[in-house]
Amino acid sequence: MKNLSKIKLILIASMMVFLASCDEWLDVNENPNNPTDAPIQGLLTNVILESTMNVYRAGSISSNYVQHLASPNPSSSSDIMDPLDFSGTWGSFYSVMSDNTDLIRKAEDLGASHYVGVGQTMMALNLGMVVDMWGNVPFSEGFTFETVTPVFDSDQQLYAEVISLLDQAITNFNSTSTVTLRGDDFIYQGNIPQWIKFANSLKARFLIHTKGKAGYNAADVLSAVSAGFAANADDAKMNFFEQRRNPWEIIALNNQNLLLGGWISSQFIEALDGTSYPVSDPRLPLMVGATDAGEYIGVPNGAGRGDAPERGARSVLIPGQYYTSRIGPVLIMTYSELKFVEAEAVFETDKPRAYAAYLEGIRAHMNMLSVDNASLEQYIAHPSVSMGVAVFTVNDIFKEKWIATFLNPETWNDARRFNYAYQDMTLPENLNPNLNGQFIRRLAYPDSEVSRNGQNVPSVTLLDRIWWNQ
Amino acid sequence: MKRKFTGLILFLWVISFGIPDVFAQDATIRGKVTSRDDGQPLPGVSVLVQNTTIGTVTDIDGNYSISVPTGNSVLNYSFIGFESQSVQINNRSTIDVVMVTDTKQLSEVVVTAFGIEQDKKTLGYAVQRVDSDDIIRTKQPNLVNSLQGQAAGVQVTNAGGAPGQSARIVIRGINSLSPGADNQPLFIVDGIQIDNSTVESPGTPRGLSNRVADLNPDDVESMSILKGAAATALYGVRAANGAVIITTKRGKAGQTEVNFSSSVGFETPNRIPRLQENFGQGFSGVFDPTSFWPSWGAPISEVAQTVPGHKYQNNWERVFNTGVQVSNNLNISGGSENATFFGSFGRFDHDGIMPFSGWSRTSAKLNGQIKVSEKFNFSSSLNYINSGGNRVPHDRFMERMVYWAETQDVRDYINPDGTMKTYGSNTNPIYDARFSTFEDNVDRLIGNVTLNYKPADWIDFTYRVGADVFSDSRTEITPGPKGIDGERPLSATGFIREIRINSRDLTSTFIVSMQKRWSDKWHTSLRFGNDIFERKFDRLSSLGQDFVIPEFFNLSNTRQVFSDQGKSISRLVGFYGDVTVDYQGTVFLNITGRNDISSTLPQQNNSFFYPSFNLSYLFSETFDLPSWMSFGKIRASYAEVGKDTNPHLLGATYVTPSIYPLDGQVGFTRFGGFGDPNLRPERTSSIELGTQLGFLNNRIEVDIAYYKNNTKDQIIPVPVSPATGFTSYITNAGEIQNEGVEFMIKALAMQRSDFRWNINFNLSYNDNQVKSIREGIDEIIIGSQFGYVGSTVTMKLIEGRPYGDIYGSSYTRFYSGGRPEGVETLDRNLPLVIGANGFPVRDGTQLILGNAIPKWFGGIRNDFNYKNWDFSFLVDWRWGVDQYNQFDNFLSAFGLNEYTNDRNDTKVFEGVLSDGSQNTQEVWLGQGVGPDGRNYGAGFYRNTYRSVSENFVQDASFVKLRNITLGYNFNPRLLEKTFIRSLRASVAANNIILYTPWDGFDPESFSAGAGGNAVGFSGLGFPAVQSFFFTLNLGF
Repeated sequence: MKNLSKIKLILIASMMVFLASCDEWLDVNENPNNPTDAPIQGLLTNVILESTMNVYRAGSISSNYVQHLASPNPSSSSDIMDPLDFSGTWGSFYSVMSDNTDLIRKAEDLGASHYVGVGQTMMALNLGMVVDMWGNVPFSEGFTFETVTPVFDSDQQLYAEVISLLDQAITNFNSTSTVTLRGDDFIYQGNIPQWIKFANSLKARFLIHTKGKAGYNAADVLSAVSAGFAANADDAKMNFFEQRRNPWEIIALNNQNLLLGGWISSQFIEALDGTSYPVSDPRLPLMVGATDAGEYIGVPNGAGRGDAPERGARSVLIPGQYYTSRIGPVLIMTYSELKFVEAEAVFETDKPRAYAAYLEGIRAHMNMLSVDNASLEQYIAHPSVSMGVAVFTVNDIFKEKWIATFLNPETWNDARRFNYAYQDMTLPENLNPNLNGQFIRRLAYPDSEVSRNGQNVPSVTLLDRIWWNQ
Repeated sequence: MKRKFTGLILFLWVISFGIPDVFAQDATIRGKVTSRDDGQPLPGVSVLVQNTTIGTVTDIDGNYSISVPTGNSVLNYSFIGFESQSVQINNRSTIDVVMVTDTKQLSEVVVTAFGIEQDKKTLGYAVQRVDSDDIIRTKQPNLVNSLQGQAAGVQVTNAGGAPGQSARIVIRGINSLSPGADNQPLFIVDGIQIDNSTVESPGTPRGLSNRVADLNPDDVESMSILKGAAATALYGVRAANGAVIITTKRGKAGQTEVNFSSSVGFETPNRIPRLQENFGQGFSGVFDPTSFWPSWGAPISEVAQTVPGHKYQNNWERVFNTGVQVSNNLNISGGSENATFFGSFGRFDHDGIMPFSGWSRTSAKLNGQIKVSEKFNFSSSLNYINSGGNRVPHDRFMERMVYWAETQDVRDYINPDGTMKTYGSNTNPIYDARFSTFEDNVDRLIGNVTLNYKPADWIDFTYRVGADVFSDSRTEITPGPKGIDGERPLSATGFIREIRINSRDLTSTFIVSMQKRWSDKWHTSLRFGNDIFERKFDRLSSLGQDFVIPEFFNLSNTRQVFSDQGKSISRLVGFYGDVTVDYQGTVFLNITGRNDISSTLPQQNNSFFYPSFNLSYLFSETFDLPSWMSFGKIRASYAEVGKDTNPHLLGATYVTPSIYPLDGQVGFTRFGGFGDPNLRPERTSSIELGTQLGFLNNRIEVDIAYYKNNTKDQIIPVPVSPATGFTSYITNAGEIQNEGVEFMIKALAMQRSDFRWNINFNLSYNDNQVKSIREGIDEIIIGSQFGYVGSTVTMKLIEGRPYGDIYGSSYTRFYSGGRPEGVETLDRNLPLVIGANGFPVRDGTQLILGNAIPKWFGGIRNDFNYKNWDFSFLVDWRWGVDQYNQFDNFLSAFGLNEYTNDRNDTKVFEGVLSDGSQNTQEVWLGQGVGPDGRNYGAGFYRNTYRSVSENFVQDASFVKLRNITLGYNFNPRLLEKTFIRSLRASVAANNIILYTPWDGFDPESFSAGAGGNAVGFSGLGFPAVQSFFFTLNLGF
């Protein structure tokens, strides 16, 4: 009996001791791989990298719609403007905007106003691109997990948000910052005056979309332009890295390895080779590759390559050119684009200034591509390019801007505003029959959003226009 | 948290006091109990003083000692499987007893939770045992595979035929909605949890091992499969998917025995798709020796007239080697009364059918038991394993085989300078398999120490501590260019990846067992204890790209190195109690309770309790049954099991994408998963009803079980709109139900003097349903697999539908009266709609095309013994299962299938036009301009056929002759004069007969590997094999 009691006592006593230490022993669930907080520098670096990638991602969607690129396969969904599921791209945009939310909040707490400014600029860039592609999208209830089914805000209201973000960014760039932006900034390496120019240029870009809508004021655009990029050196672009290669170069390389992609549309080739316009553009051989026979031949959108082999018979993106060099830049927004924005904004009020801005836009793009001076001047001097102020039209601005914004998603905004009225541009072959013979006006909401937040996703067709295009 | 245990402690306290102390004692009687069959001591025999509650059980050596009060004169000896005996004491102080096997009684000892051996007939739930002979006979190097077809409710699927490749085991259906959840059972070896994870390769699939493949099947004495929640309730959260309890071989006191076995096996693919042999390289019916297209060219016979050597190369037969398996095992066992041991050495080498694939395993094991005193004994086991091999990129290999021209010799793959020999831009699959290597090397130790202290007859304490520790060192190398002009390198830069995995599982178990016989009729036993588990895992991976010196494969020799690390730790503390009440050996009631505390859940929810109740009633003991019915039992159980989750999921975190550092900067982004800070444990509730019946003196035994398991509050990563700031929300959402029936029949079909015929049959049916998913969430995607131009298929979960539905595109069907709203499932019986172009119209809407979880599966084994001969065969089957045949999709896109022989035919597609009238338009199936002058472009197979998922979601049912074995045991009398004690020779064949409607490689292979749940995709997997074995067993 004595023995037994002892056993019981020991048993129970040891259990009590054991339980007391249990709580602490079990407290091992803190994540050893992922930190619960991140430095603003790290957030900023990734926001910049991924925002640049988003420009590429959006560009890879829109480039077939604006007929810069064409699929080598017949009736390819991208060419014939089928509703495609861009869940991945949608996710990338919202991921960056989530990180941006954290960046802005943390930087505000630290008084790092320059980081706040970059965060707001990048937020405006991403939000603007999302609205331009999809129209109404979630924003006001987003990013903080206050609900699992955030509502969709109206595209027009979100445009006001974009402009407001850019205005706030400019204010923040002009304030003193407790933390200095340095090499974590892959775009300007901490050059704040250039960031101010970028924010202003973006403002001009988004405002020009609203031309013709209530509330549009050309003076707002022009004041943004004047505070914007002043030279190619101000361009918002991000160079890539040996270990993180330019995504357009990867497309070009993959194509060489027969993972087909980056084939050039015959619309683009013909616009530059003297077919659609009476002038050969010296930029063509600097932007795309020739066939094995040294010719420039495109693929008609929607038709596919026909009996052409996989390699050597059509123009494609080739590695090593300006847009496709391994550590070369992806262009977010250029001085050249801004000059065309200026030309469009001022066209009705000051046509000579518009004409001059138009010519400066061409020059800026050619200089960016390092077109030799003789060819540059020869092109500019051609009467179809330097047509003179009197006969100069908005169409000329859109034509040259279409070339200067090669592979950039901004081209699609222009194309829609311009009703795809480029010289010789025709509907793709095998066009999606649901489009009733018209060009695509927006993207379909991604499947992932429909399956996860279906109750809030608006019902739209590919012909429903974004508010600024209505 | 401590407060939560007050109840438990009080409970234990009351129970402890409830046990009365030992009675006054008079005479002590000792003795030893042995079995008449083999003369071996019998441990665990219950010895009882008649008409009293005084009793004891024999120890491991069959010895007992009991104090008998004066006035008592009879001792009762009983043990499951043996006839009970009553012995008069007659003033003796030593009574040795020989027990006789009870042939009339239906009895089978099974190992249940915590290694407790119990008579199956007393249990209130289904447990199935598979013995050493039945395991070894299957000739499966992977222990999981040896269960194929042998146990009801247990579905085992071999991921493919690669050496060392994983096998998946699922008991009673899939219990989790989470795409990444582990739905496989817990594995316990000698009381210690071991790891059975399958860590697949990064990048292209290479068919790695599930870690149970490390165990040497030759070391296993038996496997006990605990299926339902009632059986596993004592194991708690870790066994929510069932448990496989492995008992390894032990030594027996007596003469030292040495056994040696040696086996060699040869294997070839058991099935190859039906392929066309008529058309060669090129496109549009035109021959081109550099074309990428393997067989859309001109007829081979036509080209052969002008091009010497142009022929059908029969690459699909010739590319595979004859695989070879060599297995050698040596074991030594023996011991004295106080100490026994079992030691073994095993070596297994396997060269696979795919060139340069291989795997080997070396194992050494020692089990020992020492009896320190009458009250104290001690046992320990230690198992060292080294395993690994070269894992060829099988998926890429098979894909490249699809692209490789049927008229180019695939075996002629290397130039004298070591560069790849090829044509056009193709990569030769054999060259890639040889030089793009991935070697794993696992060093593993599994060990345990068990102490048993029995201070009195009615109580004993067992403490066991064990560990499963392994390191897995993996090296992946793809060489860059050699720097030779004109070479076609496998990679432009080359890379080396070094992966180091360290894993450690620690288990500590403490059990107190008490027994009490209250009277002749009532007997109770009580167990309670504590269980502590810790799992630590660390994976470090470094990738070096771009070799400075070609072919010098070292991380330091690369221009760029990226590293990443993943660590995890989880801990679990459990307390449990188990009470069994036995009334007259007729009614058994068992109640268990367990409380787990898990480190992976939020502190406020991390402690949870769940009970189980089992009742069994041997009605044959009460009622007079007809003479042909010799045994009858019904059983019922209700159990709940809680389940925790993976470690480190809670809250929001940041990650560094693997691309950094870039220019010295490191970026951070939000981690996509947000773990609910109020996460609760999952709960499975399970009802099981069953009966066990014996007929004709138990020559026929029938066992039927019905179960229904519901898992609620599932912890799943609910996919949420990325606009929320996260992509998945890990929370409690959803319920899944598995309902099924299992039948088992064991029969001694025939017995003559020299002849025995035994039959073992099992059949299982499982019906699964997703009862609910979180509101607002329409679907959960389990996985998808690529198919050409819109024929990609997806496995997803939708409320009200079963797990395993495969969605994809189809041919548009004609519905008279228009297509109704809400059609979810393709009705293949409806007529096709034929377009204006004369071809069937494709419907891109994602419809359910099939389901990948078999409704029925089972197996039957027949064993025949005649004199010294034995013969057995095992057949297993599954039906009601569909899979996506990715091979068929690829083969059709490239004109390789036999059915593409009709490529130059003209036909009228059966179907109706959109207005419902019969289609009559003739179309040509070929490429280019047809005989009718119309341009058909890339032809029917490329334009239409390959783009329709429906064509490739096919019935993957099968019936397989899994194993057939013929053995001869040499007569011991012939061996008397030699040093050999026993000698057996046998031949066996595996998978030599496969019957299936599926066209392609064996449909059992699937691409996800054992750890993945996307089982509906055959992928471009490593083909399954058929094998022939020759085996010699020697005993000394």
